[in-house]
Amino acid sequence: MLEQLLIFTRGGLILWTCKELGNALKGSPIDTLIRSCLLEERSGAASYDYTAPGAAYTLKWTFHNELGLVFVAVYQKILHLLYVDDLLAMVKQSFAEIYDPKRTVYDDFDETFRQLRKEAEARAEELKKSKQVGKPVSNSRKQGQVQKAGLGGDKKSNEGGLASDGGDGNAVKGRKLENGISNGNHVVSKESNVVGTANGKENTSSNLGAFDVNKLKSRSKVGKKTEKTASLDRKGSKAEPIKKITKKNRVWDDSPQESRESKLDFTDTVGENEDNNIEVVAADHGESMMDRDEDYSSESEAEEEEEVGKQSKPDSKKKGWFSSMFQSIAGKANLERSDLEPALKALKDRLMTKNVAEEIAEKLCESVAASLEGKKLGSFTRISSTVQGAMEEALVRILTPRRSIDILRDVHAAKEQGKPYVVVFVGVNGVGKSTNLAKVAYWLQQHQVSVMMAACDTFRSGAVEQLRTHARRLQIPIFEKGYEKDPAVVAKEAIQEAKPNGSDVVLVDTAGRMQDNEPLMRALSKLIYINNPDLVLFVGEALVGNDAVDQLSKFNQKLGDLSPSPNPRLIDGILLTKFDTIDDKVGAALSMVYISGAPVMFVGCGQSYTDLKKLNVKSIVKTLLK
Amino acid sequence: MEGFKEWKKQAEQWSSQALQQWKKQAEPLWSQAHEYIQQVPPTQIYAALAILLVTSVLLLLGRLFKRQKANTILLSGLNGSGKTVLFYQLRDGSAHQGTVTSMEPNEGTFVLNSEKSKNGKLKPVHLVDVPGHSRLRPKLDEFLPQAAGIVFVVDALEFLPNLRAASEYLYDLLTKASVVKKKIPILILCNKTDKVTAHSKEFIRKQLEKEIDKLRASRSAISTADIANDFTLGVLGEPFSFTQCQNKVAVAEGAGIIGEVAEVERFIRDHVKS
Repeated sequence: MLEQLLIFTRGGLILWTCKELGNALKGSPIDTLIRSCLLEERSGAASYDYTAPGAAYTLKWTFHNELGLVFVAVYQKILHLLYVDDLLAMVKQSFAEIYDPKRTVYDDFDETFRQLRKEAEARAEELKKSKQVGKPVSNSRKQGQVQKAGLGGDKKSNEGGLASDGGDGNAVKGRKLENGISNGNHVVSKESNVVGTANGKENTSSNLGAFDVNKLKSRSKVGKKTEKTASLDRKGSKAEPIKKITKKNRVWDDSPQESRESKLDFTDTVGENEDNNIEVVAADHGESMMDRDEDYSSESEAEEEEEVGKQSKPDSKKKGWFSSMFQSIAGKANLERSDLEPALKALKDRLMTKNVAEEIAEKLCESVAASLEGKKLGSFTRISSTVQGAMEEALVRILTPRRSIDILRDVHAAKEQGKPYVVVFVGVNGVGKSTNLAKVAYWLQQHQVSVMMAACDTFRSGAVEQLRTHARRLQIPIFEKGYEKDPAVVAKEAIQEAKPNGSDVVLVDTAGRMQDNEPLMRALSKLIYINNPDLVLFVGEALVGNDAVDQLSKFNQKLGDLSPSPNPRLIDGILLTKFDTIDDKVGAALSMVYISGAPVMFVGCGQSYTDLKKLNVKSIVKTLLK
Repeated sequence: MEGFKEWKKQAEQWSSQALQQWKKQAEPLWSQAHEYIQQVPPTQIYAALAILLVTSVLLLLGRLFKRQKANTILLSGLNGSGKTVLFYQLRDGSAHQGTVTSMEPNEGTFVLNSEKSKNGKLKPVHLVDVPGHSRLRPKLDEFLPQAAGIVFVVDALEFLPNLRAASEYLYDLLTKASVVKKKIPILILCNKTDKVTAHSKEFIRKQLEKEIDKLRASRSAISTADIANDFTLGVLGEPFSFTQCQNKVAVAEGAGIIGEVAEVERFIRDHVKS
């Protein structure tokens, strides 16, 4: 049974709910949907599962972008309601007809909805029946369709899956299905087969939003091929200008230069008996870069915009000069998927050249398309610039941290409670956990926070010594228990030690581990469970491309699955290292934040203790889109 | 006195001399221009004049239009605090059928609902409800330059769990350059006071001040450039209170859902003159 159907504006005002259904929803599925799905640029997904104590819902939604409306259907998770997509599309269509921005009460829609629902339910009923009767026929039917798709593959052949989306909407769906995002996958396929048989006519079947998965697959493959060739073409033409700009706009390491040279070299001071001779460097490193104002040079901003314009020109030139000119003056009526496609493809390629994981670039473009489809294009604007603007907004939204990343504030709060603030550094091998732990320690020390290190990397030889060296340089107490000890226990003892020590913060270094190594992940999960740290910091290197997604999602998943506690701790924040080595390929930051939802708290950008920064969202977005 | 008069005389003399010189220089130029104008066909001159007039009128209109925008009142606060309900209460006098988390700002220019029955000309208010979701907060900056006042909505019912987030948001707001420089008044509205378990506004004010005091310690005192805040708050060495702010900060109670928004309306009318 359908639990609830809501229509609300993007501003948040509920315009219409189904009073007949009237069931009070448990928890707040709608708010959760908006906060954790629609606002996270995941609206390209097919459905969203909401679970709360006593409730498990599946939510489906559709947008009407021109009017700024959102339609959400809620139903029990255990039920696979086949007609929801269909119903949403019909509701969208008929509600758009009566919508008036000034009106806020739509009581007369009740009747319409009742009818629509009956229709949809009847159709679903029919499906069920025909499923039992007419399977063999459906197969032959299906084959016919596949053949047709192979021959034509034309957009028009199955128009109207979603009333206003047109053929391209279907293509999108097809891709979505292929990706297997939701469990709706096989359900839909069944539905389509059966519908085809039940109502002999091609027309009705397509009206029902029935699409054959095979057909779509084959079609989307074709689509992908063309996509590829197109992107190749574009790459050829674009590679030049992109390179040119990127060289100019490098902003990551402008300030540190002066201070670094003199301080880089410590080796000479470490003599034979290192215990006495190690230089104490705690005070004389200057400010950590976390505290330094960064004057980002916006010098070439105008220039850059020009370049962007140049890049997008080839797109518009294809259509013929006059018609595009006319369009730009008159403003296009409504943006359709096919209009957006070239610009989105170009954008996706651009993101991927910036080292954004392919999967994420794809999802982002999907979501941007969903937010633009059906919108009116203003006069004197190009599609590419509209898409670019929407993407920029989306990127800023993603990268803006959801929670406060003011660690100092949290440290002070913990201090007031008389507890040490515990940070656990996790990550794969060789990303720079220990080095950046030392940088964080240095930064905290600069802020009059007493820090303690805990050497819980009891695995790799030399790890404890490495940390000990850092500790001695910074004059920070270190808690170590040698090798071959259980890291969870070492961490526990370190935290207990911190109190009498008077340390406010305990930085726990862990052994690097690959995300697929289950015993090690289990050990990490145990460490986190036993010690319940205030912050689990994932250390990831910025050099990583597609693997970033795998690393982070596996870490999160393993931490969740292997933890003995019912509500396990996941990754709270990200420390991005080796940021100075990547020039403009800053995509890893985006991939990581998107996949985990955790903010980038620090950015490591060099070799010395001072080279720790905060992420500058604006400059990242600028770099990504240029 | 005497010296001043003399100085004035001198200045006058000097200026008249300079003026005459100027006139001499300008005369040949003037005649040249005159000749040139006579050569040009009159239609062209009219066209040029017309264009000049139109652009200047347009510019003037633009100016006027901009000035009118100082009637903007912003509704801000964490999500779930009741901004959108408040917005529709002020606009229509009803919360309709409830609200969900906003994804876009709600904007509207209108005469407040309670004043519609009143006679006389009232200046419409431009009210903007900025979503409270932290991902959408940058939107606030777009509206700040035109703001005549900010209503910061706090959920008095679920106050303590949200205390830190709310005070962080408020701290950011209070230290924004545009807020401090233009001394934009802020009203902290303790919403949902119709519920029995809601906290009182005195309690909320004290808690917020305490939290902001701590924030000040963790943010501005030690680290100079950690955050993009442009100003330090209050007087150093004293516990923070809202009275130390350069802009006016008031605290009020209200309940959006049942339409108890009189104090907000008063605030709006205080700062958007009718």
